[in-house]
Amino acid sequence: MTKSIIPPLIFFALCLIGLPLVLSALWVKVVTSAAIFALAAAGISVLFAQLGLINLAQIALVGVGGWIALRLNYGTALPVTLIIAIAGIATSVIGAALALPALRMRGLYLALVTLMAAGAFQILFNAFQFPNGGEGFWGVARQSAADLRPPLMVQSDAGYLRYTIVITALCFGLVALHRVTAPGRAWAMIRQSEANAMAAGINVTFYKIWAFALSGLLAGVAGGLLSTALGQLDARSFLASEGILLFALAVVGGAYSWVGAVIAGVLYKLLPALLNDFGVSADIALVIFGAALLHAIMTAPRGIAGQLSGALQRKPA
Amino acid sequence: MINIENLTVKYGGVIALDHLTLCITDDVVGLIGPNGAGKTTMTNAFSGFAPITAGHVVVDGMNLLALSPHKRACWGLARSFQKVQIADDLTVADHLRAVCDAKGIRQRDRTSQINHALDFTGIADCADMPGADLNPYQKRMTEIAKCLIGAPRIILLDEPGGGLSEAEMQDLRRIITQIKARFGAQIIMVDHDVDLIRDVCASTAVLDFGKLIAFGPTREVLQDEAVKTAYLGR
Ligand SMILES: Nc1ncnc2c1ncn2[C@@H]1O[C@H](COP(=O)(O)OP(=O)(O)OP(=O)(O)O)[C@@H](O)[C@H]1O
Ligand SMILES: [Mg+2]
Repeated sequence: MTKSIIPPLIFFALCLIGLPLVLSALWVKVVTSAAIFALAAAGISVLFAQLGLINLAQIALVGVGGWIALRLNYGTALPVTLIIAIAGIATSVIGAALALPALRMRGLYLALVTLMAAGAFQILFNAFQFPNGGEGFWGVARQSAADLRPPLMVQSDAGYLRYTIVITALCFGLVALHRVTAPGRAWAMIRQSEANAMAAGINVTFYKIWAFALSGLLAGVAGGLLSTALGQLDARSFLASEGILLFALAVVGGAYSWVGAVIAGVLYKLLPALLNDFGVSADIALVIFGAALLHAIMTAPRGIAGQLSGALQRKPA
Repeated sequence: MINIENLTVKYGGVIALDHLTLCITDDVVGLIGPNGAGKTTMTNAFSGFAPITAGHVVVDGMNLLALSPHKRACWGLARSFQKVQIADDLTVADHLRAVCDAKGIRQRDRTSQINHALDFTGIADCADMPGADLNPYQKRMTEIAKCLIGAPRIILLDEPGGGLSEAEMQDLRRIITQIKARFGAQIIMVDHDVDLIRDVCASTAVLDFGKLIAFGPTREVLQDEAVKTAYLGR
């Protein structure tokens, strides 16, 4: 256990120091987004790897977190880090509430329920738009968006990338902590069978809701980070179909380790930007994702991360 | 004392338990019967996993059926499963820790309870092995060790001897006969091995097609003509 926290620590330290130095202004923004969506993907992975639950509403929850963060940023004088924390907690409550009707379902049925929830949020976002500094509860002005406050001590895009990496790493740490403490053990017992878990005294309902709440927390924090990164959110970024895409990428990347979530974030945000940069239509990314998903389903159930760790373990030490 | 009254379980048209009435006072009680007689169904009814249509189960004055399944476990109902339930990616010690978590056992009592259960079942050596690497005997013993955490009041063992070798059966006999004295729990044991039942159970109940066809001191029950035709004389 203590050994297994060293590689992610090294990885995050390298990203923290290295990335802002080597990246150009454009790529700093892209990588910031990739890190944010890696965080959202980590939430999908918690549900999928720990309990076999399919959540297609994660992007919608990122939107919810983003909405709350924007609203608080315009409407209050709270520090941005606190706002992001509040967005995370509020979204986690909403995620847990979403879990209630889903508790008795699994597999395809649960996926459909989460997809319908994502569709409902898509309609809400479209109807009311994201706050941009206007009056009233919805906070939408007809003119262009007002400026957002950045977090304390963050003056540049590179600084915000560092800020995002630190928060993402902390949240990954929170997930890792869950896996080696009571929730992780309870989830493992539930995976074995719900009867087994109940017979051991485990409150299965509570720990399922807990998993949804953790996943929602990650989505909400991601949404909060995203709102400050972009300064403005667009309802078109939070379509239900994006939730399906991020879920697929979380599986392709590998739901069973933090590396998979990083890969999912990179595929979701970095690959389309790279293709654009090469002068290829970013839609090609969808074709690549489709092929990667087929590959994952047929040959690599633990995703790219699983294949990487398999390859590393086979190498003679 | 375990009081079962009129307990009835139906799976669609199949009456898996038919108005079972039984009062159990002995420390270790056997439950036998041919395949499909309703033995596992009875343990599932205790746990809250079977569709009960009528009846009561009262243990030490507590109406079990009024509690949700996990509350029954926290109250003191422990059980093993006919098909062992060991998670591949949890270590033996983590299985026991999960039970400690669920039963809210305080941090300072955990180590001693876990060590006690591991030593008693003889699997202290594999405490840090993941479930996937255990042999069938170690898996069985892990299941029993799980049952011993947190002051159990009754333990239901569903075919604990299934697939064990003769030497392993000897260990199992010793363990089952000592549980009451060391951990205080009353035991109901389902098994097909008549020798095991004869050696460890003071009294035995016999089910056939969901009905109780005999109950009493084990030696007498095993001599019973109806029991011999239904079960032993196959
Ligand atoms: N989940 C279920 N759904 C439908 N029928 C069931 C279910 N569980 C048990 N039954 C039926 O209830 C009856 C009793 O089954 P049970 O598993 O209790 O028998 P058993 O005495 O444990 O047998 P064995 O010795 O084979 O373990 C059988 O007819 C079985 O088919
Ligand atoms: Mg059975």
